[in-house]
Amino acid sequence: MLASRRHFLMGAAALSAAVVTPETVRAMAAMQASADWAMATADLEGDIAPRAMRLARGRAPAGLEGALFRNGPAKFRRPGGSATHWFDGDGLMRAFRVRDGQATLEARFADTPKRRWESEIDAVVTPGFGTPGDDRARVGSPDDANAANTAIMMAGDEVWALWEAGSPLAMNASDLSTKGFVTLRDDLKGMPFQAHPRYDPDGTVWNIGLWGDRMVVWRLNADRSLHTAEIVALPRACYMHDFTATARHLVIVMQPWVFDHDTMPFAARFAWKPELGTQVMVIDKADLTRRRIFELPAFSYFHLGDAWEDASGTIRFDVAAGKDMTFAMEGARVLVEGRGTVPGEPSQLSLVTLHIDGRAEMTSSGVTAEFPRSDPRRAGLARRYTAHVAGERGGRPLPTGLAVHDWETGRSDGFDFGDGVIMEEAVWVPKPGRSGEIDAWLVAPAINLRRGVTELHAFDAARVSDGPTASWRADIALPAGFHGLWNG
Amino acid sequence: MIRIATLAAAALLALTAVPAQAEDATVTLTFETGARTGKVMVALFNSEASYQSGQPVAAQAVDASGAVVAVFGDLPAGDYAVKAFHDVNGDGQMNTNPFGIPSEPYAFSNNAPANMGPANWSRARFTVSGDTAQTISIR
Repeated sequence: MLASRRHFLMGAAALSAAVVTPETVRAMAAMQASADWAMATADLEGDIAPRAMRLARGRAPAGLEGALFRNGPAKFRRPGGSATHWFDGDGLMRAFRVRDGQATLEARFADTPKRRWESEIDAVVTPGFGTPGDDRARVGSPDDANAANTAIMMAGDEVWALWEAGSPLAMNASDLSTKGFVTLRDDLKGMPFQAHPRYDPDGTVWNIGLWGDRMVVWRLNADRSLHTAEIVALPRACYMHDFTATARHLVIVMQPWVFDHDTMPFAARFAWKPELGTQVMVIDKADLTRRRIFELPAFSYFHLGDAWEDASGTIRFDVAAGKDMTFAMEGARVLVEGRGTVPGEPSQLSLVTLHIDGRAEMTSSGVTAEFPRSDPRRAGLARRYTAHVAGERGGRPLPTGLAVHDWETGRSDGFDFGDGVIMEEAVWVPKPGRSGEIDAWLVAPAINLRRGVTELHAFDAARVSDGPTASWRADIALPAGFHGLWNG
Repeated sequence: MIRIATLAAAALLALTAVPAQAEDATVTLTFETGARTGKVMVALFNSEASYQSGQPVAAQAVDASGAVVAVFGDLPAGDYAVKAFHDVNGDGQMNTNPFGIPSEPYAFSNNAPANMGPANWSRARFTVSGDTAQTISIR
């Protein structure tokens, strides 16, 4: 029975190979067509002037006042050559401003040397994370390749567009116009400043920048002037998109995606060697020469949550942990192609514990997660909750919902919009006059694929599963961004 | 990520001019700087080999406070290229950040762009068959 069935199917396959039916043509055409999620990596041709968003659901929460600044790539393709990786599009700074219950949206491209040159020749030629580039590139310093497309940092009346292999790019928070690259001290010009700074309660900013088996540890004062920049040797040269910190320690998570050979694009320099495991280096903020190393089984990651330590000195942090770098190498390339199956498994929210006796362990929550974020008032301090995007699954890329994970109970409180929506990273906005960790809104944009527009959602962090408290709808769609900050 | 420390800073500092053979071509290089302090250090090369190895046939240090013009005279006809950096702080060196990336401006003849390293000879090369002038932006 089985044999004859297989025989029949093989016969049918042979037949369809010989005769092109209308069904075959339609199926092939469908494979060639862009996926609905391709809106996430669409090209935006120019800046977006400030425009009103319409309240589409719920009521604007009283007291939600401020601006959500977000960064992310928004221009990949030009006639003379294109970015072939999600991480290499030109940075677009978005501002979602909420005032008196009204929301507006505006966006401007970071005016980088890379974008200026590529606009002039109408070709993407600059090497990047996953884009090889060619000999038309003009790269005299890392900032000539700086896409300023990853994350942001507030600095007074400026918003700094962060990349990871070069300088911050200062933009005016009021109109998103570009001011220029930030040099924190003349002799540190062009040093790498990564996309995920960590904050002390007093406003001190910590960040790192990688260079092979060395890194610069940046310490900025609350006013964003330089306090110190120190060079720290690393036990391995590996790729790290993030680091984390407790109130007292920097936590450097070294995945086994290690330097292999000098080449471009940048990602091609690294080889996945799971046999090396993942190392964690804990550095005393008060004395960067005081370091401890912990060993964990191999995992990959892009994003960590804020770390904290208890009275005994045990350190904990969360991570959106993956199995390997398939997404970074292949998945993010297919995302820009806008069609086909995106390789790589979704990452899972996991908790790492570093014990004072030198043991380290990681436990998975089992929840699919990316872009973990937590209460900014508790950065580096003990906390209970992590917000993250959710709903991504193998075969279909990008998240469709939002969840808050409770590390105390193990409960996940989530809401899923379904396949018609691409959910973006949410930030915590503490409710005015309230101090509880969960007394916050989670504010995040999403792309409504069916309507073809960008929306802004505000959830109550304590009741995510209720769905958005308020949703505002723009009349345009912006491609998916990476990271943002609320400036209240 | 991008190593351009190999910009032959040492060659740019080799300020001892090699005695030129009696010829009559003159190369005049005008530099547009972003700062008016220090000196612009200019090294002239007459072959791909000398350009690659950093052995200039002539070099000059030009004060950056006024018009920044380097004049190389008595040059035989042939192909030449220039590497220059602006020693903005006047310490006599091409400063780099701790990872070896130049932190002072540099430039090449023809305003040839760097691309993950010094501009190629083929892009920086210019032919001298009589008096020649170029304006080079060094910011």
